[in-house]
Amino acid sequence: MSTLGRILLVEDDPKDVELTLTALDEYNLANEVVVAGDGEEALDYLYLRGKFAERSGENPAVLLLDLKLPKVDGLEVLQQIKSDARLKLIPVVVLTSSHEEKDMVASYRLGVNAYVVKPVDFHEFVNAIKELGAFWAVVNEPPPGSIKKR
Amino acid sequence: MTQRRPQLHELSAIQRYALAVLAVSVALGIALLLDRFSFRAAEVPLLLFAVAIVSWFGGRGAATLALLLACVIFDYFFTAPYYHLNISRTDLPYYAIFASFATLVTWFSTVRRGVEADLRLARDRLEVEVAERTQQASLLDLTHDSIFVRDMDDVITYWNRGAQELFGWTAEEAMGKRAHELLKTVFPSPIEEIRAELLRSGRWDGELEKARSDGTRVVVASRWSLRRDERGRPLAVLETNNDVTERKKREEQITSLNAELGKRTSELEAINKELEAFAYSISHDLRAPLRHMSGFTELLQKSTASVLNDKSKRYVGMILEAAKKMGNLIDDLLAFSRIGRAETHKTAVNLEQLVQEALSEVKQDTSGRNILWEVGGLPAWYGDRSMLRLVLVNLIANAVKFTRTRPEARIEIGCGGQEPNQIVVFVRDNGVGFDMKYVNKLFGVFQRLHPPDVFEGTGIGLATVQRIVHRHGGRVWAEGAVDRGATFYFSLSKSQGV
Repeated sequence: MSTLGRILLVEDDPKDVELTLTALDEYNLANEVVVAGDGEEALDYLYLRGKFAERSGENPAVLLLDLKLPKVDGLEVLQQIKSDARLKLIPVVVLTSSHEEKDMVASYRLGVNAYVVKPVDFHEFVNAIKELGAFWAVVNEPPPGSIKKR
Repeated sequence: MTQRRPQLHELSAIQRYALAVLAVSVALGIALLLDRFSFRAAEVPLLLFAVAIVSWFGGRGAATLALLLACVIFDYFFTAPYYHLNISRTDLPYYAIFASFATLVTWFSTVRRGVEADLRLARDRLEVEVAERTQQASLLDLTHDSIFVRDMDDVITYWNRGAQELFGWTAEEAMGKRAHELLKTVFPSPIEEIRAELLRSGRWDGELEKARSDGTRVVVASRWSLRRDERGRPLAVLETNNDVTERKKREEQITSLNAELGKRTSELEAINKELEAFAYSISHDLRAPLRHMSGFTELLQKSTASVLNDKSKRYVGMILEAAKKMGNLIDDLLAFSRIGRAETHKTAVNLEQLVQEALSEVKQDTSGRNILWEVGGLPAWYGDRSMLRLVLVNLIANAVKFTRTRPEARIEIGCGGQEPNQIVVFVRDNGVGFDMKYVNKLFGVFQRLHPPDVFEGTGIGLATVQRIVHRHGGRVWAEGAVDRGATFYFSLSKSQGV
C-alpha cells in the first residue's frame, strides 16, 4: 500500500510529518498517507514520474499541502495542479504555519479547497488533522478517477 | 529747460495800437526836425523803420494801422503838393515805391512773426512733453523691478534705479554700453532664437543669468517687450528683470530635499519589506518548533502517564503551558505587526453599530457574570471599520476582564465630546483600576500591570489599540485609580491620519 495512498501529504519537516501521521493514526488513516518531502516530489507523484513512475495511475482523494517547501514551493504546486485538467479536481487543503493574509489570498485565488493554519496546541492540531482526514478522505465523495474508499 | 523765457512783447490791443501811433508819430517828428535842418529824404527810412518796429512788436492789426498812418503822413508831408493829400504826377512813382515798400516790410514782418509764434507754440508743447516724459521716467525709478531699454544694436538707452540696485552699475556707467556685454548675460537658448521670438510676438520671457558690477552672478526672471515705430520697424527693447537667485536657490534646495526624501522613503520601504519578511519568517519558522515541542510533549505525557510521579507530570504540564503561552505571544505579536503594516481602508462607519458588534463578540465570554451595560449615543464617523472594531473589542474585553472581581460590574461606553473634526469615545468600568503613576506603561507592547495568574493576557491589546488610533490621527489615554475603576479614552480625527 505504500505507493497507493488516498492522502498525499506534502511536508518537508519530518517532525510535522510524524505529528500529522500520529494524528491521522487516531482515525486509522495513517496507512493511507503518502508523504512527499518537497514540491517536486509531490508533482512526481501526481505525474507518475521518478520514483513514483511505477505506481498505479489514480489520483489521491486529497492533498495536504504545506506552503513553505524546498525546491518547488506549495503555491507553485497548487498552481500546477489547478491549471492541469487531469489534476484540478483533486481537493487540495493548504496546511501551513502561516497566518499571512497574502498566502491565504494567493491560495484561494489559485483555487484551494481549504486553508488550515496549524495550531500550536497539540490537541487542536490533532483535532484539525483528524477532521481534515475524516472529511476529505472518508466523508467527502472524491472526484471520478481518484482512489476509491475501501 | 522747464522754465519758459519771459515774453518781452506781450502787449494788450490798446498798447499795440498806441505803439503804432507813437512809433509813426516819433518817426514823423524826427523826419520833420531833420527836414528843418535841411537833411533831405530822411522820412523814408524813418517811417519804414517805424512800420517795421510796429509790425515786429505790435502784431498784424497794429502793423496795418502803422502802414496806413505812414502812407497818409508820407502823402501829406513829403509829396508835392506838400501839406496836402493830393499827389503831384511827378511824385506819384516816389509815393508808390514808398507805399509798396512799406507794405512789403509789414507783410514780411507779420509772416516772420507768425512763424515765430508757431515755433514758440511747438517749443512749449515740446517742453510739456519733456516734462511728462521725465516724470514717467522718474516713476520707473520708483519700482523695485530693474528696468532698462536698449536699442536694436543692444546699446542701453535707459537704465532705472532698480537696474542700478540689482546690477550695481549707475545709469551713467550703463548708458551707451552694450547690455549683454556689460551684464555678461548667459542665455538658456541661442540668442538668435530669442531674437526671432521677440520679433515675431513682440515679447519674450525666461530666466537669464547675468553678472553684477562686482562679478557675482545673479539669476533673473527676464521679460522683454519690443517697441516699434509708427511704421512698425523695431525700435528698442524694454527689458524688465527680477532677481530670482534666492528663489532659485530655494527651488534647488527643495529639489534636493525631495530627492533625499525619495531616497529615505525607498529605504523605509526596503526596511518595511524586510520587517514583513521577518514577520513572515516568525510566523512560519518560530511556530513550527513550538508546535513540535508541544506535540511531542503531549505524546510523552500520554505514553508516560503510568510511570511518571505527580511532580514529573506537573513539569510536563508546565512545559505544555509555556509552549501554549509562547504560541499566543507570537500570534498576538504577528497580529500587532500586521496592523502596523496593513493599509487602512477608510469609510463612513456607524460607531453605534460597531459597539453593538463588539459587545456581542465580547459577551460570548461573560456567562455567569453580572454586568450592567450603559451604552450612550455615538456619531457616525470616518475610519477603517475592522480596525475600529478591534479597538472597541479590546477596550470592552479589558473592561470585562478587570471587573471580574466585582459582584456587579458596571461598564459604560459613550461619546466624551465631539468637535467638528474630532470625537472622543470612552469605555469606563468599575473594575480594579490602576495606579496613575504607571499610566505610561499601559500602552506599551507586552507591558502588563497585573500578574498573569490574576488577570491573563499578553499585554498586546492596548498597544494594538494605540497603534490603530494613531493610524486614525487620534490619541489614546486613560484615567484610573487602584480599586476604583478605569476609563479609557480615544480620539478620532477626521482630517488627519493615513
